[in-house]
Amino acid sequence: MNTLNSVGHPSHRIDALLRVTGRADYTGDIHFPGMLYARVLRSPHPHARIRRIDLSRAQALPGVKAIITRENCDVIWGSGDTRNHRYLFNNPVRFAGDAVAAVAATDRHLAEEAMRLIQVDYETLPFVLDPEEALKPGAVEIQPGGNLSPNNRNERQPEVYKRGKIDEGFQAADRVFEDHYTSSHINNAQLEPRVAIAQWEGDHLTVYTPTQGISNCHTETARDLKIPPEKVRIVCHFMGGGFGNKNQNHDFELMAAVLAKQAGVPVKLEFTRKEDFVSVHGRWPTKQYYKIGVRNDGTLTAIQLRGYSGMGPYRKGAGGIGGIEIYQCPHVERSVSQVYTNMAVSANLRAPDYPQGVFGLESLMDDIAYSLKMDPLDFRLKNMTRKFNDQVPYTSIGLEECIRRGAEAMEWKKRFHAPGEGAGPIKRGVGMAMGSFFSNMGRSSAVIDVDSGGMYHVHVGVTDVGTAAKTTMALIAAEELGVPLEKINIIWGDTDRCPYSVGESGSRTTTHTGHAVVEAAKDLKRQIAEKGMPQGKDILTATANTNPAAAPNTARYSFVAHFAEVEVEADTGRVRVTKYVAAHDSGRVVNPLTATSQVKGGATMGIGMALHEELLYDRASGLPLNAGYYGARVMTHLDSPEIEVHWIETEDPYGPFGAKTLGEPTIIPSVAAVANAIYNAIGKRVRDLPITRDKILGVLA
Amino acid sequence: MKSFANVNPRNLKDAVAQLQKPNAVAVGGGSDLLGMVKEHLVEPDLLVHLRALRGLDQVSSKGGEVAIGGLITLDNLSHEPLIRDSYKVLAEAAGSVATPQIRNAGTLAGNVCQRPWCWYYRNSFPCFKNGGNRCFSITGENQFHAIFGGGPSFIVHPSDTAPALVALDAKFRVTGPAGDRTLAAADFFALPKVNASRENVLAPGEVLVSIHLPKAASGARSTYHKVLDREAWTHAVVSAAIVLDMDQQICRSARVVLGGVAPIPWRLPKVEAMLAGQRITPELAAKAGEAAVEGANPLAKNGYKIPLTKAVVSKTLLSLA
Repeated sequence: MNTLNSVGHPSHRIDALLRVTGRADYTGDIHFPGMLYARVLRSPHPHARIRRIDLSRAQALPGVKAIITRENCDVIWGSGDTRNHRYLFNNPVRFAGDAVAAVAATDRHLAEEAMRLIQVDYETLPFVLDPEEALKPGAVEIQPGGNLSPNNRNERQPEVYKRGKIDEGFQAADRVFEDHYTSSHINNAQLEPRVAIAQWEGDHLTVYTPTQGISNCHTETARDLKIPPEKVRIVCHFMGGGFGNKNQNHDFELMAAVLAKQAGVPVKLEFTRKEDFVSVHGRWPTKQYYKIGVRNDGTLTAIQLRGYSGMGPYRKGAGGIGGIEIYQCPHVERSVSQVYTNMAVSANLRAPDYPQGVFGLESLMDDIAYSLKMDPLDFRLKNMTRKFNDQVPYTSIGLEECIRRGAEAMEWKKRFHAPGEGAGPIKRGVGMAMGSFFSNMGRSSAVIDVDSGGMYHVHVGVTDVGTAAKTTMALIAAEELGVPLEKINIIWGDTDRCPYSVGESGSRTTTHTGHAVVEAAKDLKRQIAEKGMPQGKDILTATANTNPAAAPNTARYSFVAHFAEVEVEADTGRVRVTKYVAAHDSGRVVNPLTATSQVKGGATMGIGMALHEELLYDRASGLPLNAGYYGARVMTHLDSPEIEVHWIETEDPYGPFGAKTLGEPTIIPSVAAVANAIYNAIGKRVRDLPITRDKILGVLA
Repeated sequence: MKSFANVNPRNLKDAVAQLQKPNAVAVGGGSDLLGMVKEHLVEPDLLVHLRALRGLDQVSSKGGEVAIGGLITLDNLSHEPLIRDSYKVLAEAAGSVATPQIRNAGTLAGNVCQRPWCWYYRNSFPCFKNGGNRCFSITGENQFHAIFGGGPSFIVHPSDTAPALVALDAKFRVTGPAGDRTLAAADFFALPKVNASRENVLAPGEVLVSIHLPKAASGARSTYHKVLDREAWTHAVVSAAIVLDMDQQICRSARVVLGGVAPIPWRLPKVEAMLAGQRITPELAAKAGEAAVEGANPLAKNGYKIPLTKAVVSKTLLSLA
């Protein structure tokens, strides 16, 4: 791969100094004179009809300026449920944490005191937490029309994918393996809780909010509030992460806007950490029933999955169970029921469909390899995807190289052994898993001005969810323009100043907006060649609104293989990840420094999901028990191993300088790699996430 | 949170007087109390800040006995040379609490008196600890609950330092409206069958002022072993505080106390008796592990604590042999 001047060189974030010195103003740091503070009253029941809300005591409290409930606010949060109407305040309330009222007062403690003075008369209703239970006859109906939520074609049917003929696949098999797996609800657990400030100037609304996409947030906020988009401005200068749960617009932004309108002054609405865990979506819990046919030589003949995703009572995101496409196999059938339940709403968390599905799939593939007396590494090299869904060629594929390079770095041949082999109370084992992720290309815009001083002002609608998107855009601009990074000034995070960007979800910013930056830079170079550099107060401006696509009948994917070594104390059930290797084909790596951080972050989240993270519910009451960093057992520094990152930089003909997707693939195989390493260590399989001490001691007993 | 007043008393007498006021609570580091106030688990009208008192955060030694002010921070306690040298179990227990930030603020007395971390209690279920009359863990999510001494409440005592102090045979000096009293560490903690709403015998208005350790035995060896369900910042799933008095290879006497398994620090007299006069071999340690779990009554989801306790007791013993 040819060497470039800016792209491909490790570069610190252009805003690193501001962030680490506390000078970056996050939304929570912003203050306006006379601003009110708001809190949200939430349902203490998983399912209940509200008979009556008495606001009189709350309204009587001095300092309380506005209260909104379903009675005086019928705003529909459009992106909160794209299939049914989800109001900001719903009746019936459908999960413990569903919003009932929001209060704005002169300080946040007063707002909370008022919130506690609101008296709500609930009629509690039966509830259901488990997605399979929710589909049984007699289960309480959570949404009109039943608990099977619509699939991607808006039919009340499971989401189904088929190729070949599954029965023929099983007939062609020498052996058929079946097992089932479960995964838990996991919260995104990003550092910065939800916080928005809404400010009206006449009929013009400005919302300061940590969003992953100012453009989507902008159009959806205007739509939900029924005001013209040109009257809405969204500002996000700095944000503290989201991992998918700050996509689109959100209820806290809309509530702040409605309260601010009512009160006539700016309103800041901030969630507590606990609210952020119970009332905002995370990864959906799943049940997965896999059946796989294989010939004695290890060739796959059929893969079947019947799965259930517990989406909570509203549908914000997809709800699939992904991963099967990493194997070549002639006969495949996948049916996933996306089910309404009375748990916290599930939607987007880093590679939403994948790590849980890959956990089940790769656990069973591992078992099959061992049963056939094959090294799981060889089994994967034999069966890994070579064409997408066995049909469509990839634009570039480095999966085999990921597996080989990762195995070498893990010293697989040396460390691998028969499952459970080895005496002594401390068992070591290695495991691996692989994955792929759609490397999307699509519409985005960029505007670049150059002034007579030679500074290039790049206007891009990115916000930087943590991927260093601003820096990525600067590197791409510097490369294409052929100027040093210091000559690039990025203008970001403000819909009044930036053109459309797809938003930092789906791992799309580098390929979408980065492409627009390249095209705008090319145009600007042409103008400069033609007219010369601007003089005096003149500027030259170039714009690009691009919608590139890969060649027809090709599939553009990133690939990944992760390898884990664990140490399991057989007598105490303690698991430590002692070595971790991640090998990624994301095409050209634009910024190896921040890209490596992405991989470390994704793998770390996956290790947490494998070993201890979950939002646990009390089955009797339907209430969450362990919301927050302490209770939900989010990863700490001491839990995080050294993660070794290897780049397989395939030559991809698309994307800016050949870059493919990175952010989300980083978590896809990590859960399964750890689970498979535990199996290799102890010779027993735990099929329910997270693989906690009690489960390990249980299978070893 | 609900509004409250705050006072910084100048001396202990003043503090005790302030604590007589209606709905007053004592604050040490406040690292747990503040969160409980925010969650409305306690709704005080007055916070009496004991950290303002001088001299109650010191360690002093007299005639071999050691006095520790209840307001010493857990971090300072864990680094105190005198404690590290002669009462290692306590230094290790203090150093294992929560996170560096919490150890910098949290105090020894606060840790000993910490309310349970049962998730039903902390989520305001109307359980015994919240003024109700049932324990939700019995039929609920009880993976972290008691296997010993449960009923009617099945919480586990959350403190890391408490098992160490019972193992060290510490004395607790308590002061209150009725004056001072001193009691053995083991007598400070109370089972739920005595009082299901509390974890100790502190009367209203009483505070734990100081902790007194007897002179360490000439052959004293001690350690604290804590099992967590991630590598930092959890309470003990199971822990063992063990203090041995060794004569060369022979154990003259032993005190073995468990954390994380019972509503109070759970002493194991039978194990202690087994060890006295014996050489600590792997075989004896294994037997001690077996004996440690005699009489355990697991609930539906905490049976794993039985093999875990066995392993922890025998491993911890062997680490001292």
